[in-house]
Amino acid sequence: MFSRKSRADGGLALLAALALGLYLIFLVLPLLLSLRSSFTNENPLRATNEFIGLRNYREMASDVQLRDSLVFTLTLAVGVTLAANALGVAFAILLNRTHLSYRVMRTLAFLPQVLSGVIVGFVWQTILTQDGLLNNVLTSVGLLDEPYPWLGSPRAALVSIGVVLTWVLSGFTTVVYLAALQSVPIELNDMATMDGVRGTQRFRKVTWPMIAPGTTISVTISLITVLKLYDIIAVLTGGGPANSTQSTALYIVRLAFTSDRLGYASAVAMLLLALSAVVALAVTGALRRREVTL
Amino acid sequence: MLRKTFLAACLAGLLAVTACSDGGGDSGGGSTLTYLTFETPHLTSTFWDNSIKAAQAEAPGVQINRITAPSTDRDAYAKQLQSSGQFPDLLQSITPSNFVGAGLLKPYDKAWVDANFLLPQGNALKGEVYIPPTNSQVVPEVFYNKELFTKAGIGAPPKNWAEFLDVCAKLKAAGITPFTLGGGDPFAASMPLVGIFSADVLGKNPNWLKDRYADKVKFSDANVVTAVEKYRTLVSNGYFDKGALGVKYADSITQFTGGKAAMYPMGSWFLGSVPKENADNFGAFPWPTDDGSVVIPFVVGGSMAISAKTKDPDGATKFAQAWSLNPANLKALIEGDGAFPMLKGKTLADYNVTVTKVFEDSYAYVTEDNTKVNAIGWATNDDALPPGLNDQFYAASQALFTSADVKGEMEKLDQAWKTATN
Repeated sequence: MFSRKSRADGGLALLAALALGLYLIFLVLPLLLSLRSSFTNENPLRATNEFIGLRNYREMASDVQLRDSLVFTLTLAVGVTLAANALGVAFAILLNRTHLSYRVMRTLAFLPQVLSGVIVGFVWQTILTQDGLLNNVLTSVGLLDEPYPWLGSPRAALVSIGVVLTWVLSGFTTVVYLAALQSVPIELNDMATMDGVRGTQRFRKVTWPMIAPGTTISVTISLITVLKLYDIIAVLTGGGPANSTQSTALYIVRLAFTSDRLGYASAVAMLLLALSAVVALAVTGALRRREVTL
Repeated sequence: MLRKTFLAACLAGLLAVTACSDGGGDSGGGSTLTYLTFETPHLTSTFWDNSIKAAQAEAPGVQINRITAPSTDRDAYAKQLQSSGQFPDLLQSITPSNFVGAGLLKPYDKAWVDANFLLPQGNALKGEVYIPPTNSQVVPEVFYNKELFTKAGIGAPPKNWAEFLDVCAKLKAAGITPFTLGGGDPFAASMPLVGIFSADVLGKNPNWLKDRYADKVKFSDANVVTAVEKYRTLVSNGYFDKGALGVKYADSITQFTGGKAAMYPMGSWFLGSVPKENADNFGAFPWPTDDGSVVIPFVVGGSMAISAKTKDPDGATKFAQAWSLNPANLKALIEGDGAFPMLKGKTLADYNVTVTKVFEDSYAYVTEDNTKVNAIGWATNDDALPPGLNDQFYAASQALFTSADVKGEMEKLDQAWKTATN
């Protein structure tokens, strides 16, 4: 009755419909509900809420906690993206071999990316607290006279979180850059070698331009990952000390379920969404233009 | 955020479905009620299962599906369940003031509360009791290490603020860190500030929080700022470990019990962590006031609240009342969490508990006639802070560890109060 091709098409259409349905239910619908909520004074404990126009959006302009959380989140996003991508390129170059031991190391390098954020938070907490592993090691070998508050001062906590996130994201960036490196034609490298182009010059003139598409993907996803960061911070510092490491996502959850301000939390979520979209589009656009130039 | 919220709702739904399938159906025509609990090292899964079984014997036909909060923050989890349409029938140790305004809780019968508890109105909201006042805590006491006090030439615990500063100075001079602070956990970081605020502000005006709700007083008032300056004095004199904000609550316990510092301002639940083998080495005194008067920052906690929307109010009430009056449940709370029992007509011996001398001394502050005030940030009655203010209070405590701008931090609290109550 039906040809093999039409059966295959039907199956694909079914899969596409399923995917579209899931996308609509779990992404588009909640997004629209949250957008609606952002114009109300919705409280998770109240059955009804009122439409309050743009009041939530106006309040954001004078919200010091929101401003601080955005500054923290953006600082972290920029710093971690740079560090994780630099590390990713370095690891990828080191691991771009076919020997079994390198393949094992590649798996190890990717390991942080597959761990749950909660587990990462707990593991690093045992390392970074005052009585943690790092202070014990550094004091026992004489590098520190007394334990250092890695999570106990705003600046140190920012750097500590940055290091943890860089570690997590470097797994992902390494894999992206490895894939990009393996797509560089061997002939290009051979020709460069014959032309006497070696070492850092070869990396700068041949490799770096050729892995530009990988850079676009890696930088964009790293930025978005940090902009929406919640779990690792919630476990590692809880946003402290004194809210100094409160990411915008953590602030949103607190507004919704601690302060009972679901409407305002939705407005802040919309802002974060818009910010992430603008940053992602701007960065992707700039990097794509760079790909063409290179 | 959006996806997280939606996902949370989906997960909560999944949890409820799982719980329903696990719990089985009704037996004997009774109802099946959901019961939100939480677990700690002392309040284990076995404790809850046994306590539920015992209460069910008193409330025949009631089936219980136990839900465990993912952290000790029961309130936030209950709000998530409410926002996904799954508010539990019974909720253990939540803060009723967060839910009463939305009409989500059912009050207990006043005659039953009056008949069974020492302080029937201890955690009441506008005269109604939503959680049986089964137990209480002092938040904070100052626990101290007797051996380290002796080593520093200190004969007795301080009775007023001047003596307290003298004790700190002697300890420091003897090379002993005066205080342990679990500043990495915001609630633990707030303990000195709760003590100072209770002693100096609430001790002089026990209605301060009601006045704050009425906008008659502010955090940035001179008397509050002066009191909070005392915390800065302790910090700037170097009486805390410099890295205290990096110390987690659990580590602060081991630091103090391990003799790394001489004093530990903490809620009386610390009594459950006093090492049995050298319990006599630990003592406790109330946070000292200027004039030496005793002010006890007091919290009357309790067992479970009942949902106003439960499909079986009678069954839920019977179960909750049976659970609340079972001395075996109080035994676990007394021994493990240092809770002070508040059941009428019972002595410690009635609970068949083994307690330390420091527990008995601390319990005496509850039973003796003294000035008791509702500990700021901990009270669950009419003096409970507005939603979200606790977090701001904790954040101020952490900020004041590094910032000398007391007035500025108090103004931030006033601003947060305004936002939370508008």
